[in-house]
Amino acid sequence: MTTNGDEAPASKYVTLISADGFEFVVLREATLISPTIKGMLRSPFAESKTGRCEFPEINADVLDKVVEYFLYWHKNVDKPNVPDMDIPPEICLQLLQAADFLGLDKQSS
Amino acid sequence: MASSKRVKPIRKPIASREATEFEPNWDLIRDALVGIHTKNQTELSFELLYRASYKIVLKKKGALLYDRVKEFEERWFRDHIMPRISHLITPNLVRVALFQAPGTSTHERRHTAEQFLRGVRDAYVDHNLSMNMIADVLMYLDRAYTSETKQPSVFTATIGLFRDHVLRGCISNGTEPSDKTIFDVINAVVLDMINLERDGDVIDRHLVRRITAMLEDLYETDDEMDDQKLYLRVFEPAYLDASTAYYRIECEKLLRESDASTWLRHTRRRLAEEQERCETTVSLLTSGNIARVVEAELIKARLNEFLGMEGSGLKAMIDNDRIEDLSILYDLVARVDEKMEPLKAALQSRVMELGIEIEKTLGAMDFSARAGADGEEVQGGAEKPKAQPLTASAQQTATAIRWVDDVLALKDKFDTLWRCCFREDLVLQSVITKSFSSFINVFSRSSEFVSLFIDDNLKRGAKSKTDGEIDLVLDKAITLLRYLADRDMFERYYQKHLARRLLHNKSDMDIEKDMVSRMKSEMGNHFTSKFEGMFKDMEASKDLGEGYKEHAQQVRDTDTHKVEFGIHLLTTNHWPPEVMGRSAALLDEGAKGECIYPPGIKRLQESFLGYYLRNRSGRVITWVSTAGNADIRCIFPKVSGKETGPLSKERRYELNVSTYGMIVLMLFNDLAEGKSLSFGEIQEKTNIPASDLTRTLASISLAPKSKVLAKEPASKSIKPTDRFSYNAQFVSKTTKIKAPTIASLSRVEGDEERKETELKNDQTRSHVVDAAIVRIMKQRKQMTHTELISEVITQVSSRFKADIPLIKKRIEDLLNREFLERVDNAQVPTYNYLA
Repeated sequence: MTTNGDEAPASKYVTLISADGFEFVVLREATLISPTIKGMLRSPFAESKTGRCEFPEINADVLDKVVEYFLYWHKNVDKPNVPDMDIPPEICLQLLQAADFLGLDKQSS
Repeated sequence: MASSKRVKPIRKPIASREATEFEPNWDLIRDALVGIHTKNQTELSFELLYRASYKIVLKKKGALLYDRVKEFEERWFRDHIMPRISHLITPNLVRVALFQAPGTSTHERRHTAEQFLRGVRDAYVDHNLSMNMIADVLMYLDRAYTSETKQPSVFTATIGLFRDHVLRGCISNGTEPSDKTIFDVINAVVLDMINLERDGDVIDRHLVRRITAMLEDLYETDDEMDDQKLYLRVFEPAYLDASTAYYRIECEKLLRESDASTWLRHTRRRLAEEQERCETTVSLLTSGNIARVVEAELIKARLNEFLGMEGSGLKAMIDNDRIEDLSILYDLVARVDEKMEPLKAALQSRVMELGIEIEKTLGAMDFSARAGADGEEVQGGAEKPKAQPLTASAQQTATAIRWVDDVLALKDKFDTLWRCCFREDLVLQSVITKSFSSFINVFSRSSEFVSLFIDDNLKRGAKSKTDGEIDLVLDKAITLLRYLADRDMFERYYQKHLARRLLHNKSDMDIEKDMVSRMKSEMGNHFTSKFEGMFKDMEASKDLGEGYKEHAQQVRDTDTHKVEFGIHLLTTNHWPPEVMGRSAALLDEGAKGECIYPPGIKRLQESFLGYYLRNRSGRVITWVSTAGNADIRCIFPKVSGKETGPLSKERRYELNVSTYGMIVLMLFNDLAEGKSLSFGEIQEKTNIPASDLTRTLASISLAPKSKVLAKEPASKSIKPTDRFSYNAQFVSKTTKIKAPTIASLSRVEGDEERKETELKNDQTRSHVVDAAIVRIMKQRKQMTHTELISEVITQVSSRFKADIPLIKKRIEDLLNREFLERVDNAQVPTYNYLA
């Protein structure tokens, strides 16, 4: 159920906050590929009120990549033959963990 | 992806070691659940709760969490929600809903019901909202635990509680414990409300829709199969049953109290209402089913009774052209029966009835019309005064025309209905066509009547009708023609009528040809070959006549070029035997032979024959004296002793008479003034058959406008003893006079004539059947009896409807003549072809 009608149109952007305090302001629509964030924003909890999602277990370098992926997905979702994203090997494990946490492991759109 | 869970992140976890333990995390979650239920969740962090469940699941404690959540929800439900619901179920409600307590007003009923439903709805909405939130928070549990262990998701398991506890909870209040569940109450209440609405009350549609939506969201079990929706499993059957009962009663009531027209409109309205109800109040899932209920109860159940209703049923609709009624009827019947059986049968019988009615009224008219002069009398005014012996046949001709007009009117009517009401339904079209064809063919004189109709119109056509009108008439004629099964009969009649028209110059060649070419495209070449041959003869005759005229002028034969000579040279085969055969038949008798032509004419004939044979040889021309006519210029000298008035002058008239008439009149040319000839003398001198002579004499001695002969005694009919003399007193206002030629009238045959025609026709049919049998057997060599018969019927069907006894007789005949032989020892009767 999509409730909390007074918050939804509040802003086209949401703020994602990393464990080390970095704030990423991202297009709301782009973040919705993550079921976790989607749930976060649609259920009437604190996050949906403030539009600020804190991730105390994800560091800025990883969250940066995650946000990059959100935008990459948002931009290319309907396009064929899109080049792969560049993933630095040193953060790939952490990135995997973050992806699992954010529910990005399954093909969902 | 499973591997990713096993890989430890290389960084230190931010969360404390404590946070990975189960209990603290559970505490966190449990508090949140309470918060959610009490609507205090807005301060909670989703991320925190999500992470708590995430950790638990990662620690492989998913099962425990799942059970704890369920357990919590069940307790919560029992403690907090059930009391609310139970409170709603008042004894009053139960009494109203389940036991149809009498004495409650609709208002009261509705009020109680709405209150109850609202309570249920609110409880469900709250519950649903909470469960959604919980499911969101426990998303990771669903993803990593329940889906992998094939258990119902958190949401399914918790929303199911509502079904198990609220809907399936038994109600046991008041005096007795009952096996009724709350669900039953809900059903009963909702159905009652819907019936209230059907009866014209206003209900809270939105509320009902929310309840049905709730039932659509819930399933029988936690498997959540699509076909297990509670709505489909429990509510819909009850709904359909209740609707069936409702509409059955309504249908009975309609049958008792209203007419078919009301019924049609009512049913249509009900269908629309139910559709709308599905959209606004119940559920679109049911729209098909409920429509079927209405169809079955309001349309199908009593369809025939409504159709048969006196004064408003199908009969009345058709008779009064109730186009709107019929359109609705069609739409309704089309819903319940693709093949339109009831409508088909009803239409068929109505067409037949109307057709037979036409016939009947004709029968009645025959007598009544005799007295009153029918405005539509076919005959021109000329015959009327004299027409005592003619009246009967003239009436009959009028009857024929009337019949055709009526049939066409009927056809028009049904065509209109078909177009306007039946959406040009092909099935119905064929039914109508079939019915028409059958009643037309039941009527034994239809072939003749159709031909007469064409005759009448073409005869008058050239004069008074525009091209468009003629076109219309031809179209109509073809329409009727299509219905005729016995086309050979029609061919025979048409040939006869056409011959008359052509020989008496009564029609327009272009129209005639148009008609025939239409028939050709409708019925095929062989059908019209004779007619075309007749046209060809006419044209050839024209050329021949002109050629002869030139020839005669060249020859300067005094005798011949004095007379203008028009000839119709007819090929025997193409023309009806009635025209050709008569003289031939007389020749066979030998004794009488041809009539005796006056010498002048005789010379003319010989001269023409000479001319004709110049270019052709081996031909015989038979003079058909019955078919011709002549213009005679006659001079009546001044009657001595009369000084004033028309008789005092010399009078010149141009008299048009039949060939016989001409012959007879020529006799009087040579007669001395004051002398008379007896009937016998005339016959002797002319050798005209008695019947023809009688008619000829009638036309020139009885008809007042062409009474050029005086008869003694002056009675109104011709007797063999009568004497005739030149009528010196003859006066006419017009110079051109046409003696009525009785033979040229198209009219209905008398019974005997008709029998004769039929007999001849049967003979022709025998030949056609013979030919068909031989043709088929020649090709197939061997064939069983039944196959042969069906094959013959197909082959001749374009010409007529062969009846089986005839075919059997022909086979028998061919066996005797050794065209065929029976196959011995065959299991079924079989024939061999003998070459």
